[in-house]
Amino acid sequence: MKGRVITRAFLVAAAFVTFFPLYWILITSFKTQLDIVVNPTYLPWVDFMPTLEGWRWLLTEARADVIRAITNSLIVSGGSAVIATMLGAAAGYGLTRFQYRWRFWRNEDIAFWFISQRMLPPVAIVLAFLLMFRHLSLLDTQVGLTIAYTGFAIPFTVWIMRDAFAQVPLELEESAGVDGASAAGIFFRISLPLALPGVVGSMLFAFVFAWNEYLFALMLTFQEATTVPLLLASRITSFGTHWDQLSALTLTNLIPAAILGIMLERFLIRNRTEGSLK
Amino acid sequence: MLALSIFPLVFSLGLTFTNVNLFRRVPLRFVGLENWARIFSDEALLETLVNTAIFVGGGVAIQYTLGLALAVALNQGLRGQRLMRVLFLLPMMVSPIAVGFIIGRMVFSEGFGPINDMLGALGLPAVAWVTSPAVAKWTIILVDTWQWTPLMMLLILVGLQGIPGEPMQAARVDGASEWQIFRHIVFPLLLPVSITAILIRALEAFKIIDIIRVVTGGGPGRATESVTAYVYNVGAKQGDLAYAASAAYVLLFVVIGVSFLALYVMRRVQARYE
Repeated sequence: MKGRVITRAFLVAAAFVTFFPLYWILITSFKTQLDIVVNPTYLPWVDFMPTLEGWRWLLTEARADVIRAITNSLIVSGGSAVIATMLGAAAGYGLTRFQYRWRFWRNEDIAFWFISQRMLPPVAIVLAFLLMFRHLSLLDTQVGLTIAYTGFAIPFTVWIMRDAFAQVPLELEESAGVDGASAAGIFFRISLPLALPGVVGSMLFAFVFAWNEYLFALMLTFQEATTVPLLLASRITSFGTHWDQLSALTLTNLIPAAILGIMLERFLIRNRTEGSLK
Repeated sequence: MLALSIFPLVFSLGLTFTNVNLFRRVPLRFVGLENWARIFSDEALLETLVNTAIFVGGGVAIQYTLGLALAVALNQGLRGQRLMRVLFLLPMMVSPIAVGFIIGRMVFSEGFGPINDMLGALGLPAVAWVTSPAVAKWTIILVDTWQWTPLMMLLILVGLQGIPGEPMQAARVDGASEWQIFRHIVFPLLLPVSITAILIRALEAFKIIDIIRVVTGGGPGRATESVTAYVYNVGAKQGDLAYAASAAYVLLFVVIGVSFLALYVMRRVQARYE
């Protein structure tokens, strides 16, 4: 009983801290510049008059740009999330089910090598990507950006999927093998469905990572393949920040990712292996 | 994968032995270890390394604790649990640019921000969120925590789904309290996932730059400048690509060292439970 109360109190506090900034973004999208920079204003119609100026900009002047940026973002983020999760699942499965040996390299070292790919600061490698992509004519293409983001996400998806497969009981796979299932059959019919929560984590992580990545999008795209973060950054100019437009665009940018979250959340359920081992 | 990972690495390493500069038109020349010698007397680099360590250590510890608590709270079958899970994930989906500007700059603003305004309404003194060197570090950590606790929650929620129910039911039958079950059954089983979550978050936190550039610009003074921000300033603003690459390599060495050590320690903890 006491535990329940503590849990509730914690969730309420966490909810306030989580949602207040989101509420702030929401109301900022309806404010005039004056309502923003003079004094904080909290409630529409009470201490400020809401205006649709930011949203009008989004749906008229900027409409073509917004649609193109969101399309690009969806293709690049969706593509890299799916590819990185598939490759991550393959590598993660291999790392939990087989022992590799190459010179002094063991599974642990291979896993560390994967994650070590994320250790160099991005500012240090973006120039190398620029040169490489120019040579391969991948600059300002959706394919190029998808390749880059897939490469960045793989180290993490490998680790997430490795943990997910490690939690799938070996006995289940073995008994399926005894019953005559092929290796591919075991992977697709037993291991992967049981590791579905891991797929959710991996997909969401890779998607969100690509969805909001800024530096590489800035360096590797100019016009055709530009993504939403670049459009967001364009609202911040040396003459001042268009707060209402920035907020409206931020919320618009949040919607597709939130929809993906809602779609994937249903798979975040305990896998039903209880009793299957008897 | 190999091309994506090896080429940038070799390219940057090559840079460190040259005098490549974006702005000054000097003939390309190999300078040997000149850049590396400069590293050791660079006090600014040392200060940014310490700042980065504070952001990583402080931020990741808080984010892990909160993420773990949220994941456990949202895995007990409370009413509205599915909706709450998605809602609590939202911060990590907000673009970091918007997080930096709207939350870092506006919500924490000392002039027109709601936090100081509300503190004032409660009769509390205003906080110098960005102008005090000591507080500014915490502002960065707070903003980073707001954005990235959901990722910790997500990864731990994934791990919670794979924990078998039988040991918990058995312990409950034996009269163990919920806390004992968490402490002795759930937490040890979550260790592998925890290691992954902490490592993923720490590796990103080591490269922290966006929030800093937007919210404090590295200031006051150098109080919130991270190594990555320093590398960026040296490389992109002063144009000294060769020295920037050397400083980036220092960070790489530190990160590899810390990761090895952290993995070793965490595996030892894990081994204690097996």
